[in-house]
Amino acid sequence: MGHADDPLLPGFVLHRTPFRESSLLLEVFTPSGRLGLVARGGRGKRSRIAAIVQPFVPLWLSWTGQGDLATLAHVELRPPPLSLTGRALFTAFYVNELLLRLTSRHDPQPELFEHYQWLLWQLVAGAEEWTLRRFEVVLLAELGYGLLLHCDGDGRPLRPDSRYCYHLERGPLPLQGEAPCPLTISGETLLALDGHSPPQLGAEREAKRLLRAVIHHHLGGRPLRSRELFRQMFVRHTDQGE
Amino acid sequence: MTHPPLVLRLLEALRRLPGVGPKSAQRMAFHLLERDREGALRLSLALQEALEGVGRCRRCHNLSEGELCPICSNERRDGQVVCVVESPADVQALEQSTGFQGRYFVLGGHLSPLDGVGPDELGLEQLAAQVAEGEVQEVIIATNPTVEGEATAHYISELLAASGARITRLAHGVPLGGELEYVDSGTLSRAFHGRREVQ
Ligand SMILES: [Zn+2]
Repeated sequence: MGHADDPLLPGFVLHRTPFRESSLLLEVFTPSGRLGLVARGGRGKRSRIAAIVQPFVPLWLSWTGQGDLATLAHVELRPPPLSLTGRALFTAFYVNELLLRLTSRHDPQPELFEHYQWLLWQLVAGAEEWTLRRFEVVLLAELGYGLLLHCDGDGRPLRPDSRYCYHLERGPLPLQGEAPCPLTISGETLLALDGHSPPQLGAEREAKRLLRAVIHHHLGGRPLRSRELFRQMFVRHTDQGE
Repeated sequence: MTHPPLVLRLLEALRRLPGVGPKSAQRMAFHLLERDREGALRLSLALQEALEGVGRCRRCHNLSEGELCPICSNERRDGQVVCVVESPADVQALEQSTGFQGRYFVLGGHLSPLDGVGPDELGLEQLAAQVAEGEVQEVIIATNPTVEGEATAHYISELLAASGARITRLAHGVPLGGELEYVDSGTLSRAFHGRREVQ
């Protein structure tokens, strides 16, 4: 990787910030993982680059140089165009923040890249919250933080009609009578999150609580800014959050 | 090459300007100090006076010398239509190419969910409060056609949904990634007059 005549790779900009006098610093996500790229002249307002290196725009990219900051060599649009609007756009910002916070640079993630791309198209098509939960499950699994969703913490198969207490380090354990548990969840919801069955009534709420707790744990407790914005925005109309 | 400390300070100060790197800063400093000391004095006075005299308009948040900017204090402007833009430069661009007779609201940026720029930083509560006063009949959202501009537009339309005002958004024709300030006036004029309902 890293020569101007390298073939173009598919990619997305996760985030961009001004860099030096007229450049942009891009965090991009490609099948080779996340990397930092300097787009020289990318802040020239009439620059062709500035117009297309935006989040959620499917791109072809190549870069030169190695190490922590490479230089964007070539970029072009990768049709078809992906047009996110409204609430889906805020969900997509949340997903970008998750990727920025949870992935490391230069850690190849071809599977996760495909899932990310799939999720964006699902959001364009009006995906429901459950799609986002399934993406979060895949994201955690691909990064080595996978949830235990097919058996309990002692290796016994999960029973859809049982309730469990999800322990962040051990996984789900059958709920014991009076013992307090901060994170209860049904076997049915756990199995649905694993992709074995469609979500039942109430699964979305349970699944959201579980994933929020697990992600919070892996983020070291530092809150997600996009979630805060999302909350401010939608709290006045619904009580769903993201 | 080493510069005297005062020159170094000047170079550092000049580099705060957008698009000015070390070389341009040096060129500017040498020009002012060697060839045009009178111009340099005028520049420093103008800068100081502008800093002391220019603040933000209480109503629209555009740059203004008085409490109200010339547009807000002009009684012939139509207070029933408010156009929401990201920057003072956008006000200039729209004034020059659209013949718009209403008022503006300048956000001073856009929502940037990952950078922690939220509704408070953009003064959106003040916008909502102004619309809630009841005079405003239409809010034209003219944020830039970037993903952040789109997110900002959506947020504002949700925020004002219950206000009863008509909410419109500039029509397409402004290219993806373009910034209003740099869109040619024909395109901007078409986008402005072809605006459509958000809801
Ligand atoms: Zn004003």
